[in-house]
Amino acid sequence: VEISLLETNMSDKKDVQQGTLALMVLKTLDVLGTLHGYGIARRIEQISGDLLAVNQGTLYPVLLKLEQEGAIASEWGVSENNRRARFYRLTRAGRKQLQAETRNWEETTALIERFFSLKEEDLQ
Amino acid sequence: MRTLRRFLFRLANPITRRRDESRLREEIEEHLRLQTAENMRIGMAPDEARRQAVLKFGAVEAFKERYRDQRGLPIVAQTLQDIRYALRSLRRNPGFAAVTILILALGIGATTAVFTVLNASVLSPLRVPNPDELVIVSPRLQGERHIIFNPVFEAIRESQRSLVGMFATSQQPFLRVVMEGETAPSYVRASLVSGDYFSVLELTPALGRLLSERDDVGGSGSCVAVISDSFWKRRFGGDRGALGRNFQVREISCAIVGVTPSSFSGHQAGTATDVWLPLRPLTDSKLLASRSMAFFGGVMGRLRPGVDISQAETELTSLYQRHSQDPSQPEQGRVRATDFGIRLIPGARGLERRQLQELLTLILGCAVAVLLIGTINVAILQVARGATRLRELETRAALGADRLRLLRQVAAEGTVIAGLGGVLGIALAWVVTPAIASVLVPGDVAAGFEMPLAQRVLGMAVMTTTLASLVGALLPAARVSRFNLQVGPASARTMTRPGQRLTRALVVAQFALALSLVTAMGLLLRTVVGLSTLDPGFRPDNVVVLDVRDERSGSSFGVADTPEAKSERGARYAVVEDRLKALPGVQAASLSWLGLFSQQDLLIGLIDRDAPNDRFEAHVDYVSASYFETVGMQIVQGRGFTSQDREGSRRVAVVNEALVRQRFGAVDGLGRQLAQDYKGEDRPFEVVGIVRDSKYNNLRETASRPMIWMPLLQAPFRITSVSLRVQPGMESAVVREAEQTMTSIDPYLMVRQAKTLSAQVSEHLSRERLLFKASWSLGGLALFLAAIGLFGTLAYGVTQRVREMGVRLALGAQSRTLLNMVLAEALRLGVIGLIVGIPLALVVGNSLRGFLFGVAPQDVVTLTGASLVLIVTAFLAAYLPARRASRVDPLTALRYE
Repeated sequence: VEISLLETNMSDKKDVQQGTLALMVLKTLDVLGTLHGYGIARRIEQISGDLLAVNQGTLYPVLLKLEQEGAIASEWGVSENNRRARFYRLTRAGRKQLQAETRNWEETTALIERFFSLKEEDLQ
Repeated sequence: MRTLRRFLFRLANPITRRRDESRLREEIEEHLRLQTAENMRIGMAPDEARRQAVLKFGAVEAFKERYRDQRGLPIVAQTLQDIRYALRSLRRNPGFAAVTILILALGIGATTAVFTVLNASVLSPLRVPNPDELVIVSPRLQGERHIIFNPVFEAIRESQRSLVGMFATSQQPFLRVVMEGETAPSYVRASLVSGDYFSVLELTPALGRLLSERDDVGGSGSCVAVISDSFWKRRFGGDRGALGRNFQVREISCAIVGVTPSSFSGHQAGTATDVWLPLRPLTDSKLLASRSMAFFGGVMGRLRPGVDISQAETELTSLYQRHSQDPSQPEQGRVRATDFGIRLIPGARGLERRQLQELLTLILGCAVAVLLIGTINVAILQVARGATRLRELETRAALGADRLRLLRQVAAEGTVIAGLGGVLGIALAWVVTPAIASVLVPGDVAAGFEMPLAQRVLGMAVMTTTLASLVGALLPAARVSRFNLQVGPASARTMTRPGQRLTRALVVAQFALALSLVTAMGLLLRTVVGLSTLDPGFRPDNVVVLDVRDERSGSSFGVADTPEAKSERGARYAVVEDRLKALPGVQAASLSWLGLFSQQDLLIGLIDRDAPNDRFEAHVDYVSASYFETVGMQIVQGRGFTSQDREGSRRVAVVNEALVRQRFGAVDGLGRQLAQDYKGEDRPFEVVGIVRDSKYNNLRETASRPMIWMPLLQAPFRITSVSLRVQPGMESAVVREAEQTMTSIDPYLMVRQAKTLSAQVSEHLSRERLLFKASWSLGGLALFLAAIGLFGTLAYGVTQRVREMGVRLALGAQSRTLLNMVLAEALRLGVIGLIVGIPLALVVGNSLRGFLFGVAPQDVVTLTGASLVLIVTAFLAAYLPARRASRVDPLTALRYE
């Protein structure tokens, strides 16, 4: 997957990608609790390999969107190297959203899986 | 929900933006630092670690941009930016900003104020349920407006089926009442109405009950009354104890039984009523049965659901034709039944006040014209400015601003100007509307006038503002969008003058509009001057006229006099006259039945004793001695009246020259015997004096009417007018004294109003004066605005052609030639404006036809004068630009841009 798909003019794909990234952010925060932007980027990078290897900056618009939606909240804190950093955490609404999206994601993937595993005779 | 939350966040962005920017910057910085540290931990050199971190992060500015877009709503942000930009550029040109905003504010303010008054006085529907079902029942005789007599009205009302109900009304704007517990009488604005008035209007009481059919019964000697909410609050402080209170109307006691809802102020838009009383208990029974005397004015009804207006008209007309035939009259001499008819006029706005409507519509038209001129002006100034800003716009386009964006910026500027002008204009309207209302609508109206800033008025203001902003913004924007980027900065050096054609067309339109307003002004000026320098046939200076009512006897309207009452009254009047004459400052005093310019139109039939079969009519008045001296009428032959002309002495009369001319031809009129053409009244009287012709009720009367005066003491009708010729400067003192004297002789002799005869004469010129004032101020404004428009265009043209002029001068042109060139341009535009404007001016003149006097709507002199005024204005506007053109320095000009 090319991260450049996130670039502006391909809005359809961008939405999907942004949605994926958002889901990853929510899940990360759900599992690891409060994290700053770099921390979130690191975790996603560790898990997803190359997905966020370049263009880490993409993360920030997504964080903003989630915060505007109320799924996450942020406050100032102190980072590992003793500087001011913005820390993000999942809100109650965000947890609910994550659950809903997870279910939704599972249903979708299950459906898609079944669809891909279709053989010709199944449709006759 | 989530979407909404996000939207609100983004909407709030412009406020929180600065904080968020720094937050993002800080976050990114920290992110990069952490990544750098991480990179160094895995062994990179510090520089390389930082470089890799930045690479990994991606294009920082692009993300920032995306972040920002996401942060806010781009369209909001851009619009706000445009507006900020517009405000900044207006601040840089405070002169331009102030002028354009002021121009628009004046136009919008004038239009809104006039519309507010128009709306409140004639356009608003009555505040009753379903006002659209209401109709005005207008009786016609041979197509002309006619009066309906009570027995006919009642017969139609009983048998008609197409209306839910119909009611008659009679306005008594000065009803004299004595409130319970008070001794001093007071005047209230009363409506006498049929019993089902309120049920047809479908009103419910705010307190107590309203009138019903049961209350509207004649001869009971008592009556009930309903008062308006504002009267209740004003007079009784909103006390519930007002119910059951009594007041006297003549000899009848009326009890207050209810209060109308506050939204309802009467059946005539713009006229407030204090008290509603039932018609019949207060009307003489003879009048109720009369088939020749009407005592009420307007009749209204409400259509039954499902019945349309023409069906109802047909039914009512056939009933009217059937019932209007008076069986007691002989067959021949009757009017044919088919001559009668009923017209139904939609009555949602109540009984019409047509004259006011016509007047206000005309003034509104003028105000709209001014608004239009103002709007055009803003457009011209914008176009002109847009052209001088061409380089700026080109530069910005070259730096990458897209054309749409530039267009939006120019448009935003227009909108900001219009918006500011609109706000200022509405504020202006808000301030001046009460003043305009008190000038535009007659006193009794203004007193009870509520002026809610109705939706419609606001709508009007918003509409005019939007119009102004569209024209002011789109025209220049369209111009800008047309400029060719390829030409780029080079275009400024070419000789093309973009926008000139458009601004010229606009200037021409302005001149055309201004011409029609100035022509209207001229026509009205000639009318007012003509009317006020007219000789009325009497000398109104230093004469005070008291409008009086003698209400001693008679408990109801129209009751007949007994001979005893008459002689008692005659004696009383003789005393009043003597006492008034003796007052200090009074040179002459006279009592009269009607007086001059009373607005009554009363004729009596007369018989010439020498030609008894030849009957004729003349306007009549009964006056006391020295009437002609008092009002300054010139006696050309014989004598006026003296105190010897009383009951029992020889019956005499004075006639005017018109009567002599028409009846007696060249033969001497003095000594002629006339008699009244009236049953039981055939005692002759002798013409003892002839006076010069005079106006009767209106200065517009062209032909002199035959008039006759008889001594008041020989026929003591109740007086309504007292004239006093006073020493100059003594007017108000005399009025005070006279009022006291009369009340001391007889408390029932009330002075209702006092004014000078000049005021009385010019009172019905108020509409002409008002229109003149309106057209004067609005026309002046229009002229001023047109001058600014032309000035702007010429100044812009000179700016554009500085280089060309420099070249010309360098090649040996005289500066005079350049001066003339600009002046010729002004003249050319002005003349084209006039040519376009003349047909418009003729149309405007025609719509003023009804208000003009002594001048034709297409008066050539006025039109020429107006044209001259405009040409002079054009030259004045052209002077500064022309001088500038003639003083161009060739060297500077060639270096110019």
